[in-house]
Amino acid sequence: MTTIEAEAPAAVPARRRRKTRSWRRAGMGAAALAGVLVIWELAARAIGDSVTLPTVTETARTLVKYLTTTYPEVQGKTLVEDALISTGRILAGFAIGSAGGILLGSAMAGSRVVRELADPLIGVVRPLPPIAFIPLLVVWFGIGETSKVVLILFGVLPVVTIATLGALDAVPADLLNASRSLGASPVRTMLRVRLRAAAPGVITGMRIAMGGAWTSIIAAEMIAATGGVGFLILQAGNYLQTPLIFSGIAEIAVLGFAFDGLLRLLLRLADPSTRR
Amino acid sequence: MSTVTALPATAQPTGVRLRDVTKTFRRRRRAGRTALDGVSLDVAPGEFLCLLGPSGCGKSTLLNILAGFTPADSGEVLVGGEPVRGPGPDRGVLFQTPTLFPWLTTWQNVLYGPKARGAHTPEVEREAAALLETVGLADARDAYPHELSGGMRHRAAFARVLINRPRVLLMDEPFGALDAITRATMQRFLLELWQEHRTTIVFVTHDVEEATLLGDRVAVLSGPPGGTKAVIDIDLPRPRSYDDTETLAFVQAKRRIREVLES
Repeated sequence: MTTIEAEAPAAVPARRRRKTRSWRRAGMGAAALAGVLVIWELAARAIGDSVTLPTVTETARTLVKYLTTTYPEVQGKTLVEDALISTGRILAGFAIGSAGGILLGSAMAGSRVVRELADPLIGVVRPLPPIAFIPLLVVWFGIGETSKVVLILFGVLPVVTIATLGALDAVPADLLNASRSLGASPVRTMLRVRLRAAAPGVITGMRIAMGGAWTSIIAAEMIAATGGVGFLILQAGNYLQTPLIFSGIAEIAVLGFAFDGLLRLLLRLADPSTRR
Repeated sequence: MSTVTALPATAQPTGVRLRDVTKTFRRRRRAGRTALDGVSLDVAPGEFLCLLGPSGCGKSTLLNILAGFTPADSGEVLVGGEPVRGPGPDRGVLFQTPTLFPWLTTWQNVLYGPKARGAHTPEVEREAAALLETVGLADARDAYPHELSGGMRHRAAFARVLINRPRVLLMDEPFGALDAITRATMQRFLLELWQEHRTTIVFVTHDVEEATLLGDRVAVLSGPPGGTKAVIDIDLPRPRSYDDTETLAFVQAKRRIREVLES
C-alpha cells in the first residue's frame, strides 16, 4: 500500500525570507524619505527665503519648539494639543461611522427590502464631498465638536457601508455550504464564516474611509474651528509662518501613517495571506 | 508517514435512494430551466458510484440536493432511509475547490466540524493528528491554506470532512482543477481510502477514465435536462490501481460508457 508523499510545507523557510524582505522594504522606504529631505534642503538653500521654503533644519526646529509652545501665543494651543483635538474628532467620527457602516452594510446584505431602500440613498450621498456640508453642519451644530464628528461620520459611513456590502456579497456560497455540511448551525455559519470571510474587505474599506476622514477634518478646522491641526495651519498661513505650516503638515503625515498602520495591522490579523 | 489504515473508523456506510427527483430553477420573466427531470437512482451501502454526464446535465444539482444545499421540487431523496432536510455532517461534501477557511490553519480547518458540533474532545484531537498524518499534512498543520499547494489543499479538505465520520461522501468533480499528476495521486489516495473503509461515495465527474477507474457503477446522465440514461456496472477487479487503466478490460469498459454517452 502506497502513501501520499509528505511535501515539505513551504511555510517555514518562506517566513524567514519574508522577514528579511520586510526589513529591506523598510530600509528602502527610509532611503526614499531621506532622498526627498535632501532635495528639499538643497532647494531651500538655493531659494534662500524661509517664507517661500524654509530649510529642513529650520522646520524641524519649529516643529520641536511648538510641540510644547502655544501658537498663537495668546489663547493658542501646542502642536500636541492640536493633534489630540484632531485625533479625537477623527476617532469619534470614524468609530461611529464604521460601526454604522458595518451594521447598514450587513442589513443590506441580509435583507432585500433594506438593500433596495438604502441602495439609491447611498448612491446619491456617496459622490457628495462631505466638506460641502460644513456650512450646514455649522448652522445646525455650531463650531464645536459635534459638527466635526458628524462631518467625519458623513464621509465614513457610505464608504464602509459599500465595502461591507461588497465583501459580504463576495463570500463564496460554497464556503457557507461547507460550514453547514460540517455541522455548523446557520447562526454560527453567519457569524463565524460569512462575517469573518468579509472582514478583510471591510477593513480595506475602513482604510479608504480613513484617508477621506483626514481630508474632511482638516478642511472643517480651517473653515470653522478654534483648535486642531487644520486651524493651526490656517493661522500659521495667515502670519506667513511657513515653517509652522510644514510642521502641521508633517504632523498630519505622521498621524495618517500611524492610523493606516494600525488598520494594516488589523488587516494582517484578519487575513493571513497579507502577512508577508 | 503512515498508511490509510491509520484513519479513524468511519461510521456504518448507508445507502442513497432517489426517486423521480425533479428540479427547475426559476428565472425572471422567462421559462424556468429544468435541471433534473425525474432522476431515479439507488446507491448501495459501501458502493462507489460515479455520476457522469456532459456539463449542464444537472450532476452538480443532484449532488447539491443530496447534500441538502438545495431542495428538490418533487420526488424522494433518502440517505440512510431518512429524507434529506438540509445539510448535515453525516454527508461529507468535497467541492470542486477545496473551500478551506482561509483565516484558519490546516489544524483549525480540520477541527472546525467537531468544534461546530460541540464534539471537540482530546480524543478528536488525536484523530485529527492521525488524519493529517494519513493525508501527508502532518508537517503543514500550522500552515494557512494560501501556503499550501493545490493537492495539499484538497487533502486538507479531505481530512476536514473525514473527521466527522460521514456515512456518505459526496464529491463534486473534486480533482477537476488539479494537474494530471496530482490528480492521479489523489485518485490513488481515494481508492485506498475507499478500499479500506468502504464508505458510500457519490462522485460527480465528466471524465470517462476517472469514472471507470473509480466507480463500481457509473450512472450516465442525459441532458440537459438531466435524467438517468443508463447505469453501467464496472466489473473490473478490486483493488484497482492506476496500472489498470492500460488493460484491455479497462479500455472496453471505457468504450461502453462512451457509447452510452454518445447514443
